Amino acid sequence: MKRNKTNIVVFACNWDGLSCVENAAQSRLSYPASVKLVKVSCLSRINSGLILKAFELGADGVMLLGCRPGSCHFEKDEKFIASEYDKAVNLLDLLGLGTNRLKLTRLARGDGQEFVGQVENFIEEVSQAG
Amino acid sequence: MTKHKQEIKDTRIHLCLDCGKCTVVCPVSRYDPDFNPRLIVQRNMEHRNRNYEDEAIWSCLNCFMCLERCNYRVEFPEFIRILRTETLDKGRGAQCSHGGALQSMMHLMAGNKLKQRRLNWLPKDIKLSGQYETIFFIGCAPYFDVMFKDLGVNILDGVKSALRLMNRSHIPFNLLADELCCGRDLLLQGDKEGFMALAQANVSEFHRLGVKKIITSCPECYYALKIDYQKMLGKTFAEVVYWTEAVAPLLDSGELRLGRLKQKVTYQDPCTLGRGLRIFDSPRKILGALDGLELVEMQPNRETALCCGASSWVHCGAANRQIQDERLTQAEATGAEVLVTSCPKCQIHLKCTQQSRNGKRPRIDIQDLASLAARSLDQEAG
Repeated sequence: MKRNKTNIVVFACNWDGLSCVENAAQSRLSYPASVKLVKVSCLSRINSGLILKAFELGADGVMLLGCRPGSCHFEKDEKFIASEYDKAVNLLDLLGLGTNRLKLTRLARGDGQEFVGQVENFIEEVSQAG
Repeated sequence: MTKHKQEIKDTRIHLCLDCGKCTVVCPVSRYDPDFNPRLIVQRNMEHRNRNYEDEAIWSCLNCFMCLERCNYRVEFPEFIRILRTETLDKGRGAQCSHGGALQSMMHLMAGNKLKQRRLNWLPKDIKLSGQYETIFFIGCAPYFDVMFKDLGVNILDGVKSALRLMNRSHIPFNLLADELCCGRDLLLQGDKEGFMALAQANVSEFHRLGVKKIITSCPECYYALKIDYQKMLGKTFAEVVYWTEAVAPLLDSGELRLGRLKQKVTYQDPCTLGRGLRIFDSPRKILGALDGLELVEMQPNRETALCCGASSWVHCGAANRQIQDERLTQAEATGAEVLVTSCPKCQIHLKCTQQSRNGKRPRIDIQDLASLAARSLDQEAG
């Protein structure tokens, strides 16, 4: 199998986000080993500092994997998207890293198939950006 | 002791008499009894085999108040910087505020050779010269506006206004598309390596374009370019001027005239600009040139002005908040409508405190000096 060198950090929410990754594993779906998973209790716990830190430490892309709109366990993720996600996107733009290196993916509970598809597409996008 | 032996010697810390005047005037000590400059010196000079667990060193604001009062001009802020560098070398770190976003930004700029999009905001009416002999160093203003959007800060407005004043004064300048952060905050945090990477990249860009003179509007950039770069890189590379120093003589000679602005204002001396670089008069001269403007001084002011409580993006705690609250109370006591400052950090941190003062409504507006002066240009003197 071809080794993928595009480093992706996925911040996965402990609830619906992580269930997609677990489902992918249980369904024996595979995705590149360059995808590093970081479990968080909710996407609202991620701030722009953590996202930039991932890039500082060598990530080529960062994926935020959370619940679908309206399904957040803590009813807080909308606030995060309104402030910290937008902030991170704008900072990446200013820095010249490009806004397409940060992707917000919101999936339904246990959708492993979709997660693998999305993460592979994302790797493709990021590796094309160079 | 360590490789920093000579640097420690240069701070004249061995002249410390243990008199405690630094502690009396230190704004942090007033609110945080654990922070005691006199005891920090004692602890860290006596115990040569220290375990690098002195948490107190991260609370220093670098406001130069201790240096101002010390009879022997012992450079305590620099001593703190060296202690921080040593601690970082041992693998122990500071607690960065704002999730470490600003530190990551600086490291990304230093290490990744990025093509930043930092000049997209430039209005068409600002005229740039084709030469790079004189440049205006923007600093991190575009980044601050994104980071602190929720506080309602507009640092770029101050920069745009300073550029318009430069145009009005017929001072030619250009801007650098590949300017990097000056790195002063990294240096103050003790990250000397990160600072050196930024400083060297900036200086090589200045050399490549043949820069002879640099004008800045951020006091931190001014201090870094004028003092830190020379000290750390060991050479001079260009003349560095603060924008008020460039504009004030033109007001005297009548080459520049400001307009009318009927307001009662008070001026916050940024520590780096005031106590650090002794620029007290030129910002006041600009305020004095505004027709109809009344300047009332806060108590204390100038050499003894209280810091806005901002650190180098490390350790923002209760003491910082109390200092900011005290400064806002002093500003409100003057009865002024506007608190004018020329430092982005003062603006950010005082606005932040204004939003959470136990339900107290903001009674004073906080504005940038350049924004205020440029606004008067539209209203001609009566």
